[in-house]
Amino acid sequence: MDKNMATPPSQLGRARGVPAVKPKDMKGTLIRLWQLTRGHRKGLGWILLLSGLASGSAILSPYLIGRVVNGIDSGDPFMGLLMILAALYLGDWLIRFLQQFLMAGVGQRMILHIRTGLFAHMEKLPLSFFDTRQHGELMSRLTNDVDNISTTISDSLTQLLMYGFTITGIFCVMVWMSPMLTIIALFAVLLIFLLTRAVTKRTKVLFRQQQTILGQLNGQVEESISGISMVKAFGQEQEMIAKFVEENDAFCRVATKAQIASGYLMPMMNVINNLTYVLIAIASGVMALQGRLTVGEISSFLLYSRQFSRPFVEIANIYNNFQTAVAGAERIIEILDEACEPEDVPGAISAAEIRGAVSFRDVTFGYRPDKPILRHINLEIPAGTRVAVVGPTGSGKTTLINLLTRFYDVQEGAILLDGHDLREYRLGELRQAFGVVLQDTALFAASVRENIGYGRENVSQEEIETAARTAGADGFIRRLPQGYETLLHQGGVELSQGERQLLTIARAVLNRAPIMILDEATSSVDTVTEQHIRQAMLTITEGRTSFIIAHRLSTIRDSDLILLIRDGQIAEQGTHQQLMALNGEYAEMYLTQMGKM
Amino acid sequence: MKLMIQYVRKHLGMFLIAVLFLTIETFADLLQPTFMSFIVDKGVKNQEIGTILRYGLIMLGITAMGAVGAVVRNIYASKTSQLIGKEIRLAIYEKVQTLSYENIDRLQPASIITRITNDVTQMQNFINGIMRIMLKAPVTCIGAVVLIIVQMPSLLPLMLVILVCAGLLIYGNMRLGYPRFDRMQKKLDGLNLVSREFLSAIRVVKAFRAEEQEQEKFRESSRQLADAGISSMRVMAVFGPLINLTVNAGIVVMLWLSGRELTGEIGRLMACVNYMTQVLFALGMVSNILNSAVRAVASSARVQEILDEVPAQQDAGEQKAEITGSREIQEQQESRLSGEIAFRQVSFAYAGTARPAVCEADFTVREGETVGIIGPTGSGKTTLVNLVPRFYDAAQGQVLVGGQDVPRIPMAQLRQQIAVVPQKALLFTGTIEENLRWGDKQATQEEIRRAADAACAEDFVAKLPEGYETMLGQGGVNLSGGQKQRLSIARALLKKPRILILDDCTSALDATTEARVLQGIRRESAGMTVLLVSQRIATVMKADHILCMEDGRVYGFGTHEELLAECETYQAIYRSQIGAEEAETEEPEASQVAAADHSRWEGGVLHG
Repeated sequence: MDKNMATPPSQLGRARGVPAVKPKDMKGTLIRLWQLTRGHRKGLGWILLLSGLASGSAILSPYLIGRVVNGIDSGDPFMGLLMILAALYLGDWLIRFLQQFLMAGVGQRMILHIRTGLFAHMEKLPLSFFDTRQHGELMSRLTNDVDNISTTISDSLTQLLMYGFTITGIFCVMVWMSPMLTIIALFAVLLIFLLTRAVTKRTKVLFRQQQTILGQLNGQVEESISGISMVKAFGQEQEMIAKFVEENDAFCRVATKAQIASGYLMPMMNVINNLTYVLIAIASGVMALQGRLTVGEISSFLLYSRQFSRPFVEIANIYNNFQTAVAGAERIIEILDEACEPEDVPGAISAAEIRGAVSFRDVTFGYRPDKPILRHINLEIPAGTRVAVVGPTGSGKTTLINLLTRFYDVQEGAILLDGHDLREYRLGELRQAFGVVLQDTALFAASVRENIGYGRENVSQEEIETAARTAGADGFIRRLPQGYETLLHQGGVELSQGERQLLTIARAVLNRAPIMILDEATSSVDTVTEQHIRQAMLTITEGRTSFIIAHRLSTIRDSDLILLIRDGQIAEQGTHQQLMALNGEYAEMYLTQMGKM
Repeated sequence: MKLMIQYVRKHLGMFLIAVLFLTIETFADLLQPTFMSFIVDKGVKNQEIGTILRYGLIMLGITAMGAVGAVVRNIYASKTSQLIGKEIRLAIYEKVQTLSYENIDRLQPASIITRITNDVTQMQNFINGIMRIMLKAPVTCIGAVVLIIVQMPSLLPLMLVILVCAGLLIYGNMRLGYPRFDRMQKKLDGLNLVSREFLSAIRVVKAFRAEEQEQEKFRESSRQLADAGISSMRVMAVFGPLINLTVNAGIVVMLWLSGRELTGEIGRLMACVNYMTQVLFALGMVSNILNSAVRAVASSARVQEILDEVPAQQDAGEQKAEITGSREIQEQQESRLSGEIAFRQVSFAYAGTARPAVCEADFTVREGETVGIIGPTGSGKTTLVNLVPRFYDAAQGQVLVGGQDVPRIPMAQLRQQIAVVPQKALLFTGTIEENLRWGDKQATQEEIRRAADAACAEDFVAKLPEGYETMLGQGGVNLSGGQKQRLSIARALLKKPRILILDDCTSALDATTEARVLQGIRRESAGMTVLLVSQRIATVMKADHILCMEDGRVYGFGTHEELLAECETYQAIYRSQIGAEEAETEEPEASQVAAADHSRWEGGVLHG
């Protein structure tokens, strides 16, 4: 739970036409979204109005064209009508341009607002939130889900509005012109509805199968490529290829089926459209023959029949996307509803002047309340003590540190710093009171100098160099191509693990916190370098309280107090000599590590 | 793009069938208005109900033909695109299997994986789209224009003007749109980078109270993405409606022209108006095409990059096969190499780094010897042993196995003789037994048990409900780090190699288990040449020889006592791990223990 591995973003390729993820509470989510975008909706009203207007051209132009055709046919004057038609088209152009142009700005600004809001909230969440979630998943919320909300929801909203108006408008005009032909047009809509239902019923199952097999295929690829060293070392290349071919073939089979099934939807709708066209052509021809319809009206009707069924096709599609986007919004709102780190209590104490006396009073804690990691811990640590914490993996060493820095809060008991409960301090200042070096070396894509000065403003080059020298990092930094200005890419992959660790130590040194914490900070550094760091730490921790968690017992022998934690309790405590004399677990561990058992 | 063309060409037959039926389908759409004009001009004008019905029937026939076209096209388009997707995936996968580490390091595994999955899907969708809508748009366009001109030849100049205008607008759209979409993609990558960094550094962010700073970074990234988004959307907003307007203006002009010089048949005019609306729909698809083309071309380039990668290493097997035929290789592969390893002035640097990871290493390990390799982090221990199975090739000097230069030994034969246990245990989906059998496919149950037992894995495997049949999840997720390491050791032991390389492979084990595992390995590795890499001096102390490294250089090669007497680096490591208390502590008990222990390992427990 404390291993901060970034997972790669989900590799599942999304096929078109995949059934939508259904939101749990559409109405509630939409209301929340509405509140979320407050203050950033300027222009949205105009866009909606324009979308409504945009349907005007679709409703009126076929009618006008029909009148013009009639005019041409019968030799009546039609120039006036033609001018109106031209004006209508010009208006349509202006409306569409304005609508899309405004939408670009409004949509992107809404994304920006939601995205930065989501990020700002995420930052305030307690560590437990990040520890229990996959990073890849959180990333996809910050990117995909937010994008979907704005593009899909605003797009679908405007389109739905436009199509709604279009359908109603066209329907009215058609009924007014000929109820008989309208029935034929409605018949097409019914056919489309039935077709859609039949197709989606089949594709749903197929797409689900496809996702499952795709998951397996992606898993196989991921595993064999990230483990390629062993594949090669054991000469398993052919076996891996055979396995891949098998999965790849299976995927191709199902995917082809699914694609064919879903691929029928659009062309078949087209066929239905054509069928309606034919039926209207025949019926209107016959009706014209009987004198119940003019040629111009036939012309209008044929144009209407094309535009009438198209929105129905689109609406089904849009609704699907809309649902998926709302489900994405739901996931975002879920994060926004997560409780932030507790606010400071009223009248919280400043932690600027901390001496560093720590005491644990009957502290009990577990990441899951039913599974306590630490049980009834009692400790008194005077200011300036060098404390070392040892114990087997999973015994609760890191948890102790998590509680101390208030990454998590105790469930029972209390931790006191200089006699005050941790919860009485201002959280921001409290965290500043700790200089922390963690096992995972989190470096940023910035220069070495910026990485050392992380979290602080206006640090002079001298201060940085002094800190680096104290941490023993100065030497290798100077050997880098641009020294302190060398840019690190992606977490400093170009440095060795030990070098990365030295940088993080320099960072903590620069912080000059009254309490230093090193959580297995030297586990990936060789023993000689570790000795240097240890020397440096001795100077830094001079007169400060410090906590050191270490695997290698040789490095913590000179601590003032060694705590051996086992099963969430303090099993042994004392100086190295005392514990050796005790001849208990510590002594055994120590001798084994020295190769003497 | 080249890549997609290449694969389409490979399945040209199926592709053309799909395109042919797409054309049939399109023409079925296109013919309708023409027959409609016959109904009006011949049926309605002449008051012949029979004519109306006859043309109606023909139209129904055409609709049916269109339906057939749609069905066949759908089947072939789906099959072709999926087949191409499958083949590209396989091509990348096979290519990756032939690449050397150097290539893979440079391409990065995570990136290769997304290329096989995401990028291929993008290309596949694009190819499918070509056979679905992308070709339909131009075919509809051209067909409609041709039919308009057939119906009313006098409209030819008007149609040419419309086509030129629309063409220019589409060109402008692409020209301005493409780089903007591209920029948007890059900004999105930037945003992803910032959020990934933030998430993996969350503890540090909180500990250093750098929330403000991170938020500023994120906001800046988001803002850039939003700006790029606005700019590309606005290009679309300018061009999309303009294309619409062009066609609509065409309709108005068409009506006006035909009103002036009407030649009698009103049905033709109606058909032409219908065709214009079809042109309008077809042009509307252009923006979709642009979008997916941008993505597909980018994906294609990323896939091509892998396929173009030249393996950094040559396999001696293949080289010789070219010269002497395969028979000799066969014979050679059957003969076993001796387990002697020799480094002759070997230097090596990773690609893109100036500092050599291994520098002028020169030593010989005799067959059956165990050599411990010790040195600080980053001193080149892992790099050194990776040169033996040719994970990388030496830049200078020679690595000899059994007296032969490794690049001259066929890769399969070389790796057959070597088993590697890496720092990070890598297991694969499948049962525990299947995983262990990587070492030896023909191994008996007895042999598997024995190997597992030596690696102290037998105990915990036996406790699992399904024992050796237990399914491991991807990468062995359902096991602890220590369990994975022990299985990985068992797998190597089962291979019964000539040379066993143990690369700090007991780091997740507690000291007691580690000691037992090392004992087991010692028992099973009799006769094998063993390279034992470790950071812990206690682990290598018992080896026949110890190689001590620092900064890529070999600073000492000898027995524990020799190195302790001569090698400064070794002395420093020894002091830091063990010797310190003798030097510093006056505590009598501790030094007594140490002294007693000295006598123990001096007494011959060194090597079993």
